Amino acid sequence: MSHTVLVCDDAIFMRTMISDILAQAGFEVVGEAETGREAVEKYRQLKPDLVTMDIVMPDMGGIEAVREICKDDADARILMCSAMGQQALVVEAIQAGAKDFVVKPFQPSRVLEAVQRVLG
Amino acid sequence: MDLSRYAALFLTESREQLSACGQALLDWERTPSAVEPVVSLFRAMHTFKGMAAAMGYANLTELAHRTESVLDLLRSDPAAGRELIDLFFRITDALEQGVAGAMEGGDAKLNFTPLLAELDQASVSTTPTGSWAIPARAAEPAGPAAGAGAREIRVTIRSGAVMKGARAMLALRRAESLGSVTALRPQPAAFEQEDFDGHFSFMLQTPADENEITAALRASGEVAEVAFGSAAAEPAAEAAARGRQIRIDLRRLDALMNQVGELVVAKGRLAELAEASDSPELKAVATRISRVTGDLHGEVVQARMTPVWQVFDRFPRVVRDLARQLGRRVRFEVEGEETQLDRAILDDLGEPLIHLLRNAVDHGVERPAARKKAGKPEEGLIRISAASDRTTVLIRVIDDGKGIDRSRVLPEAIAAGMLPAGATEVPDDVLLRVLSRPGYSTAEKVTDVSGRGMGMDAVISKVRALGGSVEVQTAPGTGSTFTLRLPMTLAIVRALLARVGEERYAIPLSGIAETVEFLPDRVAALEGREAYVLRDTLVPTVRLRDRFGVTGARPAGRVPAVIVEVGDRRAALVVDALVGQQEIVVEPFDAPKGTLPLFSGATILGDGAPALIVDPAALV
Repeated sequence: MSHTVLVCDDAIFMRTMISDILAQAGFEVVGEAETGREAVEKYRQLKPDLVTMDIVMPDMGGIEAVREICKDDADARILMCSAMGQQALVVEAIQAGAKDFVVKPFQPSRVLEAVQRVLG
Repeated sequence: MDLSRYAALFLTESREQLSACGQALLDWERTPSAVEPVVSLFRAMHTFKGMAAAMGYANLTELAHRTESVLDLLRSDPAAGRELIDLFFRITDALEQGVAGAMEGGDAKLNFTPLLAELDQASVSTTPTGSWAIPARAAEPAGPAAGAGAREIRVTIRSGAVMKGARAMLALRRAESLGSVTALRPQPAAFEQEDFDGHFSFMLQTPADENEITAALRASGEVAEVAFGSAAAEPAAEAAARGRQIRIDLRRLDALMNQVGELVVAKGRLAELAEASDSPELKAVATRISRVTGDLHGEVVQARMTPVWQVFDRFPRVVRDLARQLGRRVRFEVEGEETQLDRAILDDLGEPLIHLLRNAVDHGVERPAARKKAGKPEEGLIRISAASDRTTVLIRVIDDGKGIDRSRVLPEAIAAGMLPAGATEVPDDVLLRVLSRPGYSTAEKVTDVSGRGMGMDAVISKVRALGGSVEVQTAPGTGSTFTLRLPMTLAIVRALLARVGEERYAIPLSGIAETVEFLPDRVAALEGREAYVLRDTLVPTVRLRDRFGVTGARPAGRVPAVIVEVGDRRAALVVDALVGQQEIVVEPFDAPKGTLPLFSGATILGDGAPALIVDPAALV
């Protein structure tokens, strides 16, 4: 059975790219979220195996969303998607409970390696 | 997503990793029970695998992965894997060729089935008896027993990893999942800094054993190394001295160098114009541009400087393979591998140095029995060393073998007119000239390794083309030393421009002793050759018109001669006229077939015309 994924990013372009990468690798993208708040709501609703989370999003950022999600489910598998130069934020997200991160621009294999680490 | 953008990086990095594999294998072979070589090998193989996977090269990844799995088991008992070292060597070679193959024709065409089968067989045949099949031995003397207090763990994040601090934080969280973490260094705040260097350490109290800890930390990704205990951590000073670096495509640097070269030439032209002008402003600007250009040139040269290990790295393997093939026992030492040299020179040195190393193994170091008989240790020594002073780099290939038999060289030297009949000794410089004659070989019999005299002449002409020279010292019974003396950088040199016929030629100033007026009444003969009386000595003359095959009207009146000097040999080059001095940019020179072997390169002059660069060493 394939793993389910929730993709959170405010840019359609990025959501599409991530969804493509994951779908091609056999994952089932069950939902997308444009804001942190939406991410938290959809996580409760969908209980996905994996979440990819952008850091900077309107209406509750990614880090805050990680905190909220982990409050409900300490084992949530969240993969942060960061741009270069956001190390401090990524560190914060990890402390909040994120399990791994990838850095844009994405290399599909890197993304999938990170996903494997998170799921493994 | 366009992976071709990553191809160049993959190529460079994978070669680095595979070269590290080769080095680790040599170390392992030398000390079969040491753990460190296997760990290094495992690490390099693992990193290579990751990169191959990122590029989507499934076959390369598969072979690396299966190798890594076997290595993983061997880490706890390296000696059990000594029979496999040869297989690992072949796998490393196969991966290296596979990288090239994958980048050309795609990974799908690669076929590693035989090697994979050997790996399988190795695992199967050793499993029942070999203790290495058990990942961790029950009693690990080095590590404290499970649960016995906290142990220090040092972690290094892979140097190419992005956001090392965040990666370190992930590893730390994995550690926390195993037990309690204390004494974290550096402070957590350092992990948020963009320039965090990826090294950190902590104490971990856990029931998990070292293998479990290593596996857990590695699972956080991009972990290059996990070390236990309090063995000297890398000194902070060393880490700081590395500075911050970026990778640059070499072609960029070459293009930049070419542009600087153009600028140097234009600067020369500008200086001439300024000189002829009355404008003080123009003169001031010309001076300033001249200075800035000089500085710029210096910076670019500096950027091109490359440590010699980038080429030396493959030599241990070359020597090992040759020694095995030829039944020699050789210890190989490398010295001064951090010595820096212009990349353009370094790239061209690989082949000549391999020739010299081959000669050292094949013709230098004797067979073990012969060495024993001669009262020497059975294991021969070959050493390659590099050292530099301000402008010159010396590279030496030294062996403690039988030396070159001068009695065999003597008749040859006399026959070639290099020594007078009846001479009884062969000085080192004459020896080299004999060795450098095309086709000459001192080998007692031709081997498929050194071939028939291929080598020394090729070595010497290559080194000369780079503006360097070769010297040899040898003593019967104690060995030979070949010394390559090389400029630290090429690319821009000062040269004298001389006209011969319609063409202008550049003669590097470094090879010129003086220029004189060529007076016909001072022409004499020396050992049957035309010579010129220069004060109280005779200098052989070389009439460049004749050498270059120039026809047409000879210049009326007196012509100049350029006295060139290489070592203690001199020659008077007779030219039609001297044109002036100029800084010239040396362009790589692949002489077309049929070109006289008298030129070391080509250049573009200030007015845009091309000119050949005369190699004084080929004329004296």
